[in-house]
Amino acid sequence: MKIHRRSVLVLLTLIALLALSACAPPATPVAPPAAEPPAATDQPATTDQTTAEQPAAAAVTLTWALWGSPEEVVSHQRVADAFMAEHPEIKIEIWNQPWDDYFTKIQALWASGDTALIPDIAFLWPTPRYAAEGVLENLDSFIEQSGYNLDDYWPGLLESAKYQGSVYGFPRDIEVNVLYYNKDLFDAAGLAYPDETWTWDELTAAAEALTVPGERYGLAMEGGKFSKWLNQNGGAILDDYVNPSKCMLAEPASVEAVAFFADLMNKGYAMRPADLGQAGGDQAVFIADQAAMIIQNTSRVSGFNQAGKAYDVAVVPIPEGGQRWNAAGGAAWVMSAGSDAKDAAWTFLSWLQSTEGGEQVYTAAGEIFPALQSTANSPAFMTDQAPANKQAIIDEAAASGVGGFGYFPEWGELDGSVIGPGMDLIWSGEADPATALPALCEQVDAFLASYGYPK
Amino acid sequence: MNLDDAAGVDGLGQETGPSAAGVDGLGRETGPSENGVRRSEMRTTRSQRLGRLALHAALIGFSVLMVAPFFAMLLVSLVPQQAFLAREFGLDQWTLSNYRETFRIVPFGRFYLNSAIVSVTVTVVQILISSLAAFAFARLRFRGRDAIFVLYLATLMIPFPVTVIPNFLIIKNLGWYDSYRALIVPALFSVFSTFLLRQYYRTLPMDLDEAARMDGASSLRIWAQIVLPLSGPVLAALAIFVFQGVWNDFLWPLVVTSSETMRTIPVGLAAFVGQYSTAWGLLMAGAVIALLPVLVIYIIAQKWFVQGITLSGMGGR
Amino acid sequence: MSLPPAPRRSLFRWRPDQQWEGYLFLLPSLLGFAVFVILAVTMSLGISFTSWGLTGFRAFVGLDNYRALLRDPVFWQAVRNTAFYLVTIVPMQLALGLAMALALNQGLRATGVYRLIYFMPVVTTVVAGAIVFRLLLSNNGLINVWIQHFAQFTGLPVTPPNWLGSTRYARWAVVILTLWKNTGFTMVIYLAALQGVPRELTDAARVDGAGGWQRLRHVTLPMISSTTFFLFVYQAIGAFQLFTEPFVMTRGGPANSSLSVVQYIYLAAFRDIRMDKAAAMAWFLFIFIFAFTLIQNRLQRRWVYYETE
Repeated sequence: MKIHRRSVLVLLTLIALLALSACAPPATPVAPPAAEPPAATDQPATTDQTTAEQPAAAAVTLTWALWGSPEEVVSHQRVADAFMAEHPEIKIEIWNQPWDDYFTKIQALWASGDTALIPDIAFLWPTPRYAAEGVLENLDSFIEQSGYNLDDYWPGLLESAKYQGSVYGFPRDIEVNVLYYNKDLFDAAGLAYPDETWTWDELTAAAEALTVPGERYGLAMEGGKFSKWLNQNGGAILDDYVNPSKCMLAEPASVEAVAFFADLMNKGYAMRPADLGQAGGDQAVFIADQAAMIIQNTSRVSGFNQAGKAYDVAVVPIPEGGQRWNAAGGAAWVMSAGSDAKDAAWTFLSWLQSTEGGEQVYTAAGEIFPALQSTANSPAFMTDQAPANKQAIIDEAAASGVGGFGYFPEWGELDGSVIGPGMDLIWSGEADPATALPALCEQVDAFLASYGYPK
Repeated sequence: MNLDDAAGVDGLGQETGPSAAGVDGLGRETGPSENGVRRSEMRTTRSQRLGRLALHAALIGFSVLMVAPFFAMLLVSLVPQQAFLAREFGLDQWTLSNYRETFRIVPFGRFYLNSAIVSVTVTVVQILISSLAAFAFARLRFRGRDAIFVLYLATLMIPFPVTVIPNFLIIKNLGWYDSYRALIVPALFSVFSTFLLRQYYRTLPMDLDEAARMDGASSLRIWAQIVLPLSGPVLAALAIFVFQGVWNDFLWPLVVTSSETMRTIPVGLAAFVGQYSTAWGLLMAGAVIALLPVLVIYIIAQKWFVQGITLSGMGGR
Repeated sequence: MSLPPAPRRSLFRWRPDQQWEGYLFLLPSLLGFAVFVILAVTMSLGISFTSWGLTGFRAFVGLDNYRALLRDPVFWQAVRNTAFYLVTIVPMQLALGLAMALALNQGLRATGVYRLIYFMPVVTTVVAGAIVFRLLLSNNGLINVWIQHFAQFTGLPVTPPNWLGSTRYARWAVVILTLWKNTGFTMVIYLAALQGVPRELTDAARVDGAGGWQRLRHVTLPMISSTTFFLFVYQAIGAFQLFTEPFVMTRGGPANSSLSVVQYIYLAAFRDIRMDKAAAMAWFLFIFIFAFTLIQNRLQRRWVYYETE
């Protein structure tokens, strides 16, 4: 018994010590992340002389929800600071989560119905699903009153943020997938750089020439981007991306496109997506020279510039007789229907989505390719930094259109539980496109039917 | 369904009745000391010696398998990413840079604080509440007692996923989302702990109560001064069982917290994985940071851990 | 189902003076029980008969959610995966744990050290384990390197599998992690049971000329059969509810090949915001577990030996 009591004592002491030592580092747990400037909550911008004229009591605090790596958050903070300098009456508080948790968490916040918790402006994807749940503010009236210019967006882009014909969000950027190529590896292999004349045949030949088995792949691309091949070839995932009635993956043009990509992997020229994930993603393998070409959006530019890669971009090769095509979509800024400061939120939102405001800051930071054509053609984008061939990005963006993902609320579930897993089988080489796609299409059709589509 | 079936279904009820064996088993059986006695009894022949050698070899083999992941964790956490990619793990490569970086990125101190606050509170209060209820079930006589107990037992069968969604909604409606209350309050009530303690309290002789009552003691006093002191080992065992269960719980904290400052260790660690999926050095450093204190405590107090989990795991047998 | 609150002992009688006291002692527990168990279970059942999204109740839909599940191939894939976990993890864990416990029960030197080591994974958090095994099981991870060496050494045509990237092996990756994490628990409980087996019995069998295997088969195993039964049911219920392991290690992929039912419940509730579908799945899971334990409870009478009987 004596021993036991002593052990308990030891244990309790340890636990107590642990609790204490855990207490120690964040000595002021009330204000934990010291990232924020201490120009804090109740008396904003007393440091700023412009506030002198404005009544300090009018201060509004907006919660701004977004996901991002610590580095990305730095530039979000820069945007918030720039806005607050222009609008001292509004204080922006950033609420940040890693991408994996973001959607779960933000749903919970909305579901809580607590206006103190609900973010006023949030970064979101896909917009229609949340619009259908009624948690987003319909922006039509704000747009009408302020005369905000919707024509500046790239073609098809706003569709991704519309629900039942109304605008519920503004895409911050447009995902433009281009071909990144490693110039050194091309030079070493004695290959000409890719250009707009390239077709799938040239791409295949280059990938083959650049592949060193066991060491390097010619090409690496995430599996989820396959719709680019489909649409280039005249195929599609669904017959209608807003109100679908039918899966189109088993159509000959679609099967041909999927088979093209699967063949590249089966021959060992392209990295299988599962292996790509394990190897750390396309940025890591491109920097490590484990892949000579990747197809990815513009978010990789800053990483490659930092790593000092000799690289450039080109438009993605298309099939013989095919068309250039880019899926118009990008995560959007939305306003919560439960926001308690909608006018201030609109002020911030429209500022974010202007060439003079947020768009320019993000673009100049090299983080995004802007959603607004005017920003893309401004000096913010047309810099002399790498990549040299910025025209390729603009050309791909101009070829944007609807497709690649659904604009209906259940798309996330359909893609996450049915289409994505079905394509996994093909990318892993375990299934043949010609037989797997019709089977997958049956599942997709059954899914659509179970939700009553077409409506 | 009767009492025994309800419990038996859960695999706990081989002996729902008073069981002297369970009590005796408490302090005694699990210590390593007993083996010493047996060893001395053994006559060592050549074949026995060989057999023992083989046994040791097998046991060491198992040990290697069990320890290898910890070893890998530590090793990878100590070398920079380039060295890891080149598979160079030599001493000259060792550095604490991954740890420094991990501490810079992730507020592990905060996670520890949260885990400690939640686990300690839940353990203490849950056992208190369960003990009171178990006392009523085992040693007080009142109408409706057995009906309520059967209801308790019946819910032991219900898997956690059934209640996680409504409990999430309840927490949300109470306005407790993303707070300590959300992490703590629902875990304060445990049918299992109540059941376990009730089984134990039933084995204590009823005469104790009767004698105390003769002397004018109230029920509360009997609970506090007779039953509780007699159940020290069971309470300690249960405490360790509950504590490590709460400490390692993942799904519930994942569901009811959102801000980084409210994360517990497992959830914080998982979020870290989401952000840095293949920065292995950082991830392993995070895993080591998350595990080390617990492992140290375990190694110091391992007997209590094993005993606690054995006893509670077996429903107090 | 009859619920006889009949007193066990004829001596038992109600004590009116303890009537209010009894409820007072129960009060804190009952309060939580009423809200977080009874209310929760009722809500869960209720939600499963409605259409329930992010903003709450939309409509009553009767059995629609359950019917939709019957036709949902992903749900059945998750059920098949969970069944796979059940039939692999439970017997492997029991066999391994028993083997370890038997070896540790021989009165060897350093038994305590072995037990300390075997039990270490039990007290670690699954998340940390999952991280390490993601590394160990990656394409050129330690385990595949060993397999390669083994193949070279023996000349056997063994190719290291793509553990996390192929639909065939991802489930095995989850199994491996679970075995590592939980076998120590099984071992410790078996060890406690083995130490309760009277030495006279095995000694008597030895005198009768029974070999090691026979003693195990006819004396030891029957003596610890109640523990085996407990572990069997306990681990099975754990396998039914597997979540963290696939969630952190494989995210359920590739192609849903390692998706567990509880993980799908989580995704339905918190990714797809389908509380209704998630609740219905949880009740399906309950039915599976209930049926399983009921059957086991019937079957146990044939092979479980209780001292008291």
